[in-house]
Amino acid sequence: MRITRYIQPAGRGFASVLPFSRNPWTGLESEIDRLFETALTDFAGVSAARQFPVDVYEDKDNTYVRAELPGVNREDINVELADGYLTVTAARKIPAAEGKGEESCSFSRSVGVPEAVQTDRVVATCENGVLTVTLPKREEAKPKKITVAVK
Amino acid sequence: MSLFNTLIPSFAHWPARRGNGAAPDLGPTVKPYYEIQEKPEAYALTVHLPGVAKEGLELTADANTLTVVGRRAWKQPEGWTALFRESADVLFELVLEHDNAIDAEKIQAELKDGVLRASLPKAEAIKPRKIAVG
Repeated sequence: MRITRYIQPAGRGFASVLPFSRNPWTGLESEIDRLFETALTDFAGVSAARQFPVDVYEDKDNTYVRAELPGVNREDINVELADGYLTVTAARKIPAAEGKGEESCSFSRSVGVPEAVQTDRVVATCENGVLTVTLPKREEAKPKKITVAVK
Repeated sequence: MSLFNTLIPSFAHWPARRGNGAAPDLGPTVKPYYEIQEKPEAYALTVHLPGVAKEGLELTADANTLTVVGRRAWKQPEGWTALFRESADVLFELVLEHDNAIDAEKIQAELKDGVLRASLPKAEAIKPRKIAVG
């Protein structure tokens, strides 16, 4: 299981100084993680990667997590939210080929999500092999406009 | 080569790669994950195209090559800020070269849940045949 972190912009009050708010080494680190995983588990894996790509977006009301899971049926996808982490577990069934029965290959990934989530209103949809999980933000976490009267 | 690509995954994925000169230039494309299995009568091709619907899929076969182009159906809505991206908004393009080995008329393909499964029947000329010795 691999935990993915992203760095949220530090506070909504002051603008982020860096042009990109991601650690510049994240890309290299994740490639090296993937290299170790592939070398230490099995070479000729049935699927290309044990990890599936995940995107995280937000707008002012929700946080969205999209995961690319082609070939996985809806009932084989498990989405859980616990302790500020969203875990997606999926099992892909490979149709029986001659000589082998039906094989199944499982993936799992965890993504950190902001603490202020309305956990009972989380929804997930799956379309064309892409899973989208919508996590509504709690009211106090939404950006609010405060008008200050200048005297 | 494929073992090498499995050991060092980043070599297998070229995020922005020009299509080869023969095909019209589609801009940056990414090569999807694919598998080919050979069966006695046909080749079974499986291509992973997450986010591609039937309308965005083009399958072209000619004498030498089989080209699969997939356009993702989803566009990032206005107002969404990307915090962390691992996929890319580029086309999927897969070009497979064969030497008249496939009968293009009889190709059957289905796209379900972002996976394209195609059966590519072998051309008559390459099927093994028994030759009687007179």
